[in-house]
Amino acid sequence: MEKGKDMLPLTEAFYYILVALYVEPSHGYGIMQEAERMSGGRVKIGAGTLYTALNTLLGRGVIDNYPVPEGTDSRRKMYAITDEGRAVVRAEISRLEELLKSGKQALSIGEERGT
Amino acid sequence: MTTAKEKRYRLSLSWEHEKEEEWLNARSAEGLHFKKLSLVKYTFDRDPSVRYTYRLDYQGGFGKTMSKEEYIELYRDAGWEYVSSYGAMWHYFRRPYEEGEEAQLLYTDSESLAGLYKRVQAMIAVMFFMNLFFMVFNTIRGGVLGYSLLVLYVFLFAVLGTGYFRLGKKIKRISK
Repeated sequence: MEKGKDMLPLTEAFYYILVALYVEPSHGYGIMQEAERMSGGRVKIGAGTLYTALNTLLGRGVIDNYPVPEGTDSRRKMYAITDEGRAVVRAEISRLEELLKSGKQALSIGEERGT
Repeated sequence: MTTAKEKRYRLSLSWEHEKEEEWLNARSAEGLHFKKLSLVKYTFDRDPSVRYTYRLDYQGGFGKTMSKEEYIELYRDAGWEYVSSYGAMWHYFRRPYEEGEEAQLLYTDSESLAGLYKRVQAMIAVMFFMNLFFMVFNTIRGGVLGYSLLVLYVFLFAVLGTGYFRLGKKIKRISK
């Protein structure tokens, strides 16, 4: 579980790539579309950003190559999240939950005090 | 219909690739669409009926995790047509121009853009030290030829050093 903790915090692009792959293996274009859909069109991952992120994630062992289904374009590589990658996503989500909780608490205390 | 080829000359610097993009995009708006580069010679196809947005990418090498074909395929999926490469490391892509599409970038966050600058910086550093090594080799004998070479090398180092420094400033500006 501790492994990969040094990757935190994730950039939005890294986060959405891993979250998209958490659901199912995908190819690069599928990841881009999924990130855009999940973020309501806010996060558009450019080709260069995606390519370098995939290389980094492969190098760190948090994603892996996934066998391309028969009969599809073999140049279009597919990727799957690894157990390590899942641990990174979970660690990042708890980090984000803590941030969210602290922030919301501070807001409600501030409102109670009428400041 | 045959497309007419045209040539333009421009000295492009590795640490100012955005300026090169701007220049190529301005040419494309005039109907000259970049095809390939050799040293300072840019070859264009003339076609006034289309217009593209060009972008440059720098990748140090392929093979470890992804081949060049897979790289090109990924960019194609994202809407980028591969045009050509220069020096095996600079890759030119284009897509049809759309109004108000300044946001059509290859690098969409500051971290990955800084990564691009750092890769170019690393290449400049390698060239710097390679030339330092050659310089020592070539000028060690001294003599008139040796000294004139030395002057050339000093100029080269100044140029490379400037590039390295400029990229460092760019990285600093976009990093938090």
